[in-house]
Amino acid sequence: MEGSPLLRQVAHQRQALFDEGLLDEQFVQLEELQDRTNPNFVEEIVTTYYQDTSRLILNIEQELERRPLDFGRLDGYVYQFKGSSTSFGAKKVKAECSLFREYCRAGNGEGCMRTFQQLKREYATLKRKLEAYFQLARQARLTQTASPPG
Amino acid sequence: MGAAVDHVTPMGMSGGSAEGNDKSEGQRFSCKSKLTALVVDNGGVCRAIQTALLRSYGVETEAVETGEAAVELIASGATFSLIIIEMLLSFMNGPETAKQIRAMGAQSKILGITAFFDERDQQEFLAAGADNFIEKPLSPEIVIPIINELDN
Repeated sequence: MEGSPLLRQVAHQRQALFDEGLLDEQFVQLEELQDRTNPNFVEEIVTTYYQDTSRLILNIEQELERRPLDFGRLDGYVYQFKGSSTSFGAKKVKAECSLFREYCRAGNGEGCMRTFQQLKREYATLKRKLEAYFQLARQARLTQTASPPG
Repeated sequence: MGAAVDHVTPMGMSGGSAEGNDKSEGQRFSCKSKLTALVVDNGGVCRAIQTALLRSYGVETEAVETGEAAVELIASGATFSLIIIEMLLSFMNGPETAKQIRAMGAQSKILGITAFFDERDQQEFLAAGADNFIEKPLSPEIVIPIINELDN
């Protein structure tokens, strides 16, 4: 089955995640931690990443509605967001977190709000493309299982 | 950045994800002695990844969410070769956690870890008893030399 159109499509889609700057080398490290003893590791990490970050997005949204803005609290949430995104390999999201934090530290509310919108866009794009990739990868695995080589 | 993908088949495919964690030699690097580690991080993703990375090298690893839980564990008699502590924990911060662990006489190697490197945080962590302080992510380049050092 190696070299089948579906597998090639999966590989192509995966490569695109890196070429478009959505993921970095750290994600490869996660893939390398997946093995027979831990066969669903990557998808488990992805699920945990979504859980961590969706909570942080909600916290940040609530914080940005308060007046006056508490830049200390915002800073704390962005710090966690960056930590999770760095460990996951979410390259563009990580970069937006760094920018967001600079605005927090400068006490620039408008900058914070603008950057947060961009962060959410990058996050949504990553999530959408990762889900498409995993769906295709699952499909390819099922096809492989149904038609073993031989 | 096109991360090198030639050596990694899309995850779950036949030929599957890499068996070993040492790309250059295709063999799994593993610690020689019985090593133990404790990961202290309030982020679920970070905890899971750091734990998996250490375990992939044969290090028996536990993970807790708070500094208080780490201190309680050590106070109960648990010992660890390596303790990795996040800088900004939810209640008691990383340096305070390190300080309390050292005050109990723990000889573990302590690695402080942070999402954003800051020299003041580094100084605070080292003054509290940490041996080193790095910015995330925890990578094989960081972990393997530590394991080698602990092994020897």
